This record gives sequence, structure tokens and C-alpha cells, in this order.
Amino acid sequence: MTKMKRRTFVGLAAATTTALSMPSIAFGALPRVVVIGGGAGGATAAKYIAKDSKGAIDVTLVEASKRYYTCFFSNLYLGDFRAYGSIGHNYYGLAVNHGVNMVHEWALSVNNAAKKVNLGSGESISYDKLVISPGIDLKFESVNGYSAEAQSKMPHAWKSGTQVQLLKNQVKGMKKGGTFVMVPPPNPYRCPPGPYERVSMIAHQFKKSNPTAKIVILDPKNKFSKQGLFMEGWQKHYPGMIEWISAETHGGIKKINAATMEFETDLDTFKADAASVVPAQRAGRIAMNAGVNNGDWCPIVPASMQAQADENIYVLGDASIAKSMPKSGFSANSQAKVAANHIRGSLTGSKVFTPRFANTCWSLVATNDGIKVGANYKATDEKIDKTSGFISKTGEDSNLRKATYEESIGWYSGITSDMFS
Amino acid sequence: MKSKFILLSIVVCFFLMNKSYADQKQLVGADADYGEHLFGECVTCHNSTGLGQGIPKITGMKTSQFITKILAYKTKEKENAVMQMVAERLGEEEINSLALYLSKLK
Ligand SMILES: Cc1cc2nc3c(=O)[nH]c(=O)nc-3n(C[C@H](O)[C@H](O)[C@H](O)COP(=O)(O)OP(=O)(O)OC[C@H]3O[C@@H](n4cnc5c(N)ncnc54)[C@H](O)[C@@H]3O)c2cc1C
Ligand code: HEC
Repeated sequence: MTKMKRRTFVGLAAATTTALSMPSIAFGALPRVVVIGGGAGGATAAKYIAKDSKGAIDVTLVEASKRYYTCFFSNLYLGDFRAYGSIGHNYYGLAVNHGVNMVHEWALSVNNAAKKVNLGSGESISYDKLVISPGIDLKFESVNGYSAEAQSKMPHAWKSGTQVQLLKNQVKGMKKGGTFVMVPPPNPYRCPPGPYERVSMIAHQFKKSNPTAKIVILDPKNKFSKQGLFMEGWQKHYPGMIEWISAETHGGIKKINAATMEFETDLDTFKADAASVVPAQRAGRIAMNAGVNNGDWCPIVPASMQAQADENIYVLGDASIAKSMPKSGFSANSQAKVAANHIRGSLTGSKVFTPRFANTCWSLVATNDGIKVGANYKATDEKIDKTSGFISKTGEDSNLRKATYEESIGWYSGITSDMFS
Repeated sequence: MKSKFILLSIVVCFFLMNKSYADQKQLVGADADYGEHLFGECVTCHNSTGLGQGIPKITGMKTSQFITKILAYKTKEKENAVMQMVAERLGEEEINSLALYLSKLK
């Protein structure tokens, strides 16, 4: 029985291991990996390549900032559930614990043929394998009237940094009984439930200090992530405060004016006392520069996260087309581990395991009311295919919602320590 | 074909229900390297530095206890959407490899 069980099981769920051929490496020199971008994808990739290769690969992380403020939980900061300092992280752990070389500079361009990254300082670093995880750039022009200047009056707060503090000040300073307008981005964008969690946290702020305030969401879409769950939560916790207007209903945002704070649609012109506008997005510029994009995003080989355009470059996280995975920090972290394993295999001949991807996104609707959605994925030839998943249900009891919120706190501490320590 | 299916069902039932499985000394198909690799999936949620805030700590657990707990999620005996999803795609080889790797962690 035992024998048979073993055979059947191995046959059913075999973990395939492939040994990749080792490239010829100059005697004495360690193979070099350069990672551009120290966020959810890049920090994780740098750490895992350095940690698992135990000194056999030289890893350099090029990251513009010395401190990384996570976009994840920035909404909780808006709702006063987190202090700003608690969402900031440094890179000492990567350097000290894993020997990652930190270079705090902008990567300006990539020379694919010479396998070099050119830095802002004028210096360049050569690589055997390059990982690009630059996150997103914003397409300001996608919303008529929005611009780099308008972002201080109508913060997008969709990249880490000071924008989110600015937004919070504007929310807190909004006149009593005023109107806040939220413009979410069109698909695809980073963090599908993010704009709706943001609205929830702003409503939570208003409920405490400005209870007659209103929130109008002018959506360029006709449906959104976890819609039923958010709508139920808004009705329950913030009755009458939030109005979601779909593209079908308002007919499109024709023009916005940051000076007068007006939003012109077919339906009406909306006047805001404070606002957040999140425009359409594309892969961070360096990905375009390296020529690994096709339009706004970068096509990848699902099994390894290698760019389809250059086998020596891996693209992770938001910048990649990792259909059907959403653009999230969890996804980027999961993709980074697949790429790290593949890179190590190709540079040192270590075992390459069957790729396994996963994602879970928690959102906070109100105090102790957390919801979640998650899925497992596997690589096929065409895409990263969903194999199973779950989503919170409407009408769940409050103990489960509280436990879900507590899980999200555990996840935040888990993923940030996974990235940075 | 049919007999093969019945055999498979018996095998699966045996795997899921045999309590002594958890105490088996021999971790069938276990590979510590594979376990370490798989553990990367867990530490996105289970803080690797051992903090157990919001999500329980899983390092330092006895092998048999670990296997019993994973199987409870896999059989959906224990409720938790994320852990049921995690356990769902762990086969015998994965569970045993994780168990072996975890037993070697201090
Ligand atoms: C409001 C909000 C809430 C969110 N909530 C969640 C959540 O709850 N869960 C979740 O999983 N995800 C969440 N996300 C999404 C998550 O933040 C992103 O998906 C994730 O950060 C993507 O990782 P990345 O590595 O692709 O990019 P990033 O994390 O943005 O990292 C990119 C890094 O690259 C650096 N960089 C870029 N270009 C260069 C260059 N040329 N040279 C040097 N450095 C460069 C940047 O400074 C940055 O540090 C949220 C996002 C937002 C906006
Ligand atoms: C998406 C987040 C997430 C991931 C990924 C995850 N877990 Fe969990 N795990 C949890 C949560 C939440 C709980 C608590 C569940 C409950 O309340 O029963 C838990 C509980 C457990 C428990 C029971 C702990 C106890 O003391 O009762 C074990 C064992 C466990 N996980 C193992 C793993 C392993 C092994 C992996 C990786 C293969 C993993 N988990 C991946 C979130 C996660």
C-alpha cells in the first residue's frame, strides 16, 4: 500500500526539476546580477538571489531612494490606522544580511548588446543577468486637464512618497460638508481594489471629523474589484456619504480643471473641495529604455519572467504583463522568487523548480472590517494562469472580518521583512 | 480505467485520513532544497523573523504537528480561505519537503 501510494502520488504531483546548462564564466570572476528598482519585485529578487547563492553571485541593487515607502498600507495611513513612519523601510538588511551591493542612483539607460546599465552618475555597471522592476509611470495626459503641476492640487498618491501625505492633509483640511472627488484609473493599473480602499479610508476620516462631507467617485470603468463587498461596506459604515458613478452613467470625464477644481462630464460638472486623480499607467521608463516593452507594458515568458524581447533581462511586478495576475506587491514578490530561482539556475547550475505563483490582496473597509481576494497561478506557454481562488463574501460575520484585517497586518509585517531583512 | 480510478480514490483517502501518516518517520519524497524553495511562498505572510502578529509563527513546530495542521486545511476541516488555498496545491512531496526543511531550521 505504502509503495503504491508513493508511486501514484509522485505521478500525480511531480515537482519537475530542470537543470539548466551553465554558461562559461571567466575564471575567478563571479557572475553578476544587476537589479533595477528596490520595490516589491526588485528588493525580493535581490535578496533571494544573494541569499540562496550564498556568495556565488554578485548582486547589485540600483534604487533611486534610500527609503522605500510602501504603497501598500498607504491607504491605512490615510485612515489613521498606520503612522507614516511605519510604512517606510531601508535597505541595510539587504546589504548587511545578504551582501547585496546597494547603489542609490537612477538607472538611466541599458545597453543590451554590451550588457551594461548606465547610471545617473555617468558610471556604468555590467551584468550577466538584469532584473527590471521599476513599477509604474503615470500617463498624466490620459485625463484631459491633469498634469504634473495639477498633481499637487489633486494628488494621485499612486507612487510611494510624499504625495500621500499631501493628500491626507487635503482630506483633513477639507471644508465641513464639502465634496471630495475621486477619479480611479482605467484598467490595467497597480492594485485593482486600491482606489476603493482609498475611498473607504477617506470616508472613515470624514465620519470622525467631517460627517456631512460627500465623496463622489467618477469612474472611467463600469465595474471594479470587490465591488459588491465595497458597496455593501459603504452602505453599512458610511450610509449616504459615497456616490459611485460609472462611465456609462457620466458618459466620460471630458475635462478637469485643477484651478477651479471642476470635473466636466456628459452628465454634469462636478465641483470638488478636495480630490484625488489617478491617471492611466505604464511600465516605468527604464523598461522602455531597455526595449523590453510592447506598448505600455512588458511581455514576459510566464515560466521564468524573462522579457520576451531579451533573454538576459527579467521584468517583474507592475511593469510586466503577467496576465492573469493582478499588479500587486504580493504578485511582484511571488514573481521575484520565480525569477530568482531561474537566474540562479542559469548562472550556477542550481536546481530550477516548477514555477508557482500566488497573490492575495486585503482591503480595509472600516475599523475591523477587512476583506480579501486571492488566487494560485501556474505558468502555461501563453500566460500565468489562475488555477484556483477565493474572495470574501458579502454578509460575513464581524469576527471573520476582524480576523481578515488582522491577517493583513501579519501579511504586511511578513512581506516587508521578506523584502528588507 | 475504472479500477484505476477506484484504486486512486483509495489511495487518496488513505493519504487524507490515515492519522499515522503524520507520525511517519520517513518523509516520503522529501527534499530539503525543495522545502527551502517552497518556504519562500510561506514567508510572504508568515514573518520569517518569527514575529507572529496577525498570522501565526510556523517555525519551530514539530514535524508531525506541522503535517497535521497542513492536512487540516487541505481537507478543509479547518476554515481559513488563504491557508486552504495554500494547502490545496501542496502534494505529499511538497508537504514532506517543507516539513524536512522546517525541522532543520532553528
Ligand atoms: C494606494 C495603493 C495601495 C496598494 N495596496 C496594495 C496591497 O494592499 N497589497 C498589494 O499587494 N499591493 C498593493 N499595492 C500595489 C503595490 O504597491 C505595487 O503593485 C508594487 O509596489 C509593485 O512592485 P514593483 O516592484 O513593480 O514596483 P515598486 O514597488 O513601485 O518599486 C519600484 C522601485 O523602483 C525604483 N525605480 C524606478 N525606476 C528606477 C530607475 N530608473 N533607477 C533606479 N530606481 C528606479 C523606484 O524608486 C521604486 O522604489 C498598492 C498600491 C497603491 C498605489
Ligand atoms: C496569504 C498568506 C499566507 C501564506 C502565503 C501562507 N500562510 Fe499559513 N497561515 C496564514 C494564516 C492567515 C494562518 C492562520 C489561519 C487560521 O486562523 O487558521 C496560517 C496558518 C498556518 C499554519 C497553522 C499554524 C498554527 O499554529 O495553527 C501553518 C502550519 C501554516 N500556516 C503553514 C504555511 C505554509 C507551510 C505556507 C507556505 C507553503 C503558508 N502557511 C503560507 C496565512 C498564510
